[in-house]
Amino acid sequence: MRKYIEFARVQMQVHAAYSAWFWANTFSVLLRMLVIYFFWKAVYSSRTEIEGLPFDSMITYIIIAMFLQMFVSGVGRELAHTIKDGNVAIELMRPYHLITRLIAMDIGDKIIHFIRGALPLGILAFIFMDITLPTTWQGGLLFLLSALMGIWIGTFFDLLIAILAFWTINLWGLEVMKEAVISFFSGALVPLILFPEWFQTVSLFLPFQAMVYVPVAIYTGILTGTEAWLALGSQVFWAVLLFVLLRVLWSIAIKKVTIFGG
Amino acid sequence: MIVVKNLEKYYKIAKRDPGLRGAVKSLFHRKYETKKAVKRISMHIESGEMVGYIGANGAGKSTTIKMLTGILTPTSGEVKVNGIIPYENRKQNASHIGAVFGQRTQLFWDIPVRESYELLKHIYEIPQKQYEETLAEFVEVLHLEPLLGIPVRQLSLGQKMRCELAAAFLHRPKVVYLDEPTIGLDVAVKVRIRNFIKQMNARYGTTVLLTTHDMQDIEEICHRIIIIDDGSVIYDGSIQDIKAQFGDKRVIQFELEHSIDHFVLPEEIRSAAVVIPKTDEDHHVVSVSFSSKEISGAEVISCMMKHYPVLDLTIADAKIETIVEEIYSKGLKGRVQHEEIH
Amino acid sequence: MLTRYLKLYYLFCKQNLKVMMEYRMDFLLGVLSVMLQQFAGIFFVKIVFDHIHQLNGWTFYEILFIYGIAATGRSIHHIFFDNLWTLGWQYIRPGKFDRLLIRPINPLFHFIADRLQQDGFGQLFIGIIVISTAMPHLDISWGVLEFFILIVMIIASGFIFVAINLFFATLSFWMVDSLPIVWTIFNLSDFARYPLTIYHKGIRHLLTWIIPYGFTAFYPAAYFIEGSGFQKLALLTPVVAIVSCVVAYWFWNKGLKAFTSTGS
Repeated sequence: MRKYIEFARVQMQVHAAYSAWFWANTFSVLLRMLVIYFFWKAVYSSRTEIEGLPFDSMITYIIIAMFLQMFVSGVGRELAHTIKDGNVAIELMRPYHLITRLIAMDIGDKIIHFIRGALPLGILAFIFMDITLPTTWQGGLLFLLSALMGIWIGTFFDLLIAILAFWTINLWGLEVMKEAVISFFSGALVPLILFPEWFQTVSLFLPFQAMVYVPVAIYTGILTGTEAWLALGSQVFWAVLLFVLLRVLWSIAIKKVTIFGG
Repeated sequence: MIVVKNLEKYYKIAKRDPGLRGAVKSLFHRKYETKKAVKRISMHIESGEMVGYIGANGAGKSTTIKMLTGILTPTSGEVKVNGIIPYENRKQNASHIGAVFGQRTQLFWDIPVRESYELLKHIYEIPQKQYEETLAEFVEVLHLEPLLGIPVRQLSLGQKMRCELAAAFLHRPKVVYLDEPTIGLDVAVKVRIRNFIKQMNARYGTTVLLTTHDMQDIEEICHRIIIIDDGSVIYDGSIQDIKAQFGDKRVIQFELEHSIDHFVLPEEIRSAAVVIPKTDEDHHVVSVSFSSKEISGAEVISCMMKHYPVLDLTIADAKIETIVEEIYSKGLKGRVQHEEIH
Repeated sequence: MLTRYLKLYYLFCKQNLKVMMEYRMDFLLGVLSVMLQQFAGIFFVKIVFDHIHQLNGWTFYEILFIYGIAATGRSIHHIFFDNLWTLGWQYIRPGKFDRLLIRPINPLFHFIADRLQQDGFGQLFIGIIVISTAMPHLDISWGVLEFFILIVMIIASGFIFVAINLFFATLSFWMVDSLPIVWTIFNLSDFARYPLTIYHKGIRHLLTWIIPYGFTAFYPAAYFIEGSGFQKLALLTPVVAIVSCVVAYWFWNKGLKAFTSTGS
């Protein structure tokens, strides 16, 4: 355990060293927030609500979802590159579990990301953009729980996709495709309740809405009471399923390395 | 072919904090440090000469080569290659030169070697007939046939280097710069590469400037060496000359019973001999160098045996390697006349 | 001179295409993924327009048209000039840029021709589909002249993308890798996907006169939209493209000069 904590700590320091990227990221998020703000302002210029959501609920949803989406991907890219350049064989000889190490690094990354990026930017959004707090403190707590689950699901899904690197080459394409699918189905762009009926039904059977939509819908009060608890239950289901799936797929992939030499 | 007069290159190194913040800050306020990479170098290389350009790491070799190829603009001084000022007419200069830069490939990474050559043919505007002749010749001398269909990224180091060399000579350049062309290669490949370079020089009169750490390369290919140290030329002359001047040089290697960590030369011979700094890890072997005019080998040996328990000893020739090693470590200190350059 | 470069470009392209075909699966994956990415954005607009009829006076198809021009213009950059992203970390940092300087051809040309980006075809494809979907719904009769202007506008849009990326990539000559800056500036083009009229005046001026992403989609599209009020400004698009390219190339040459005197 100790060594994994160490990995997380080191990752935080690494992150701090790339300050050019930090500022680039911060600035880009700010820009995106501006686009979002003006876009929705224009949308609401001639109406007061859409599907029962007034402007401040909508902008709150969109902004929180945007922040959460930044956390639902993980270290898939590192894993994919380790596989691609053949270093995975070396990593497997080391005295730690590669996936656990990557997740530890990811946690370190996300913590520092939250402190240096999301938190200050979130406060900025809160002050300047009519973002609201959750209506009840229970809602707030539930959101935190649900958000953590969403991040867990996103992280495991990311690693799952990365293992596909054993069979493909164009990692960039794989990554873009994954991002597109997630922003599509997770409700990161708009609340799923705005989507057509059939689309909402389809996404019920996919893990993506559990990443972003469920937590943010709980935050903004779209999902409350029994509905919220049911949604949380589906999150647990996906979290467990993806965890098991990752273990299975990883052991198959490892066999490929140890038997065929990668 | 290559004329260099009082060439200098100073780098201004901006000291700044890392990262974007540092970059922004340095836009307004900068502190500089000047590094003199090359100090008033002069040399004159005739057409068809093969010259070894040697010096320790960081002595200014690659800076000089970069200025000769036009990649770098000098701070002051004159450079002319084939009558062209390289950094002013980079493209014009480029069509007359070829280069191999150590491990960095000049070929196109993803495409087969043959296609790379095909592209180079167009880039350098080589006439089709000449191209075919040249390539056929290279394929034979460097044994390239089995490599032509393979993408560069899949070649081994030795294979890649053979292909690189062919690429550098493909357009029959007047001057070729070779920076560490044999580094990391096995002996058989080294021999093949040396033969190729010699052949090119004999057939096309190609001027070759070679930098290398492998003294075998120098002895086999070059007639003349230029030694650079800390940005200045410290020797320019033929290999025979340097050998003659150091002909009285002897090196004796002693294997001692005890570790040499605290080894000092015995008092009696300290004025006439020096210890050559070690390059390997063996802690029991010490190399002592001296001039036979000043002291005899027998004296050195008996003196050493008097002070230290000697297990074994070897007397080495005055190899160019040992000479250069000593020049690096001690400087010339007037032992070699600094030749006046025209 | 020009014919020589055209021929060389053709040869570079041929080689790049051969490499691409070697990895057919990846080609498909790349194209598909970019299409999906673009599609996600369009789908978003569609969802929003299911609930509203117009955005600040702009109809769904008008927005789609803007979107399509942005995608098509960007695809020109993505397919042919994608190497601009790699100047710092793949050329300057590992010293690979020197290779381009000892060749008897223009280093910028060589650098650009070194890569053809397959994935950009997805963008081109989706852009053309979107434009042709939106076209019949615009209040304009499409004749030869309109088509010609549209094509000129799209090419101009592409070259504005190129010029902006070239300008900021050039900073790599001084700071080794300017990728974070290039990337941040590139993200500004997100603004260009929607009518500039929805933004604050400051943003509008920034995107019109300083970093002219406005001319990559909105103004060209507005030319074809009756009563948009930007028809005159839209005609400036090719001029803006040319000026941007000239400025970027001038800056590139300055960067190159700085690079050859420091060789960092």
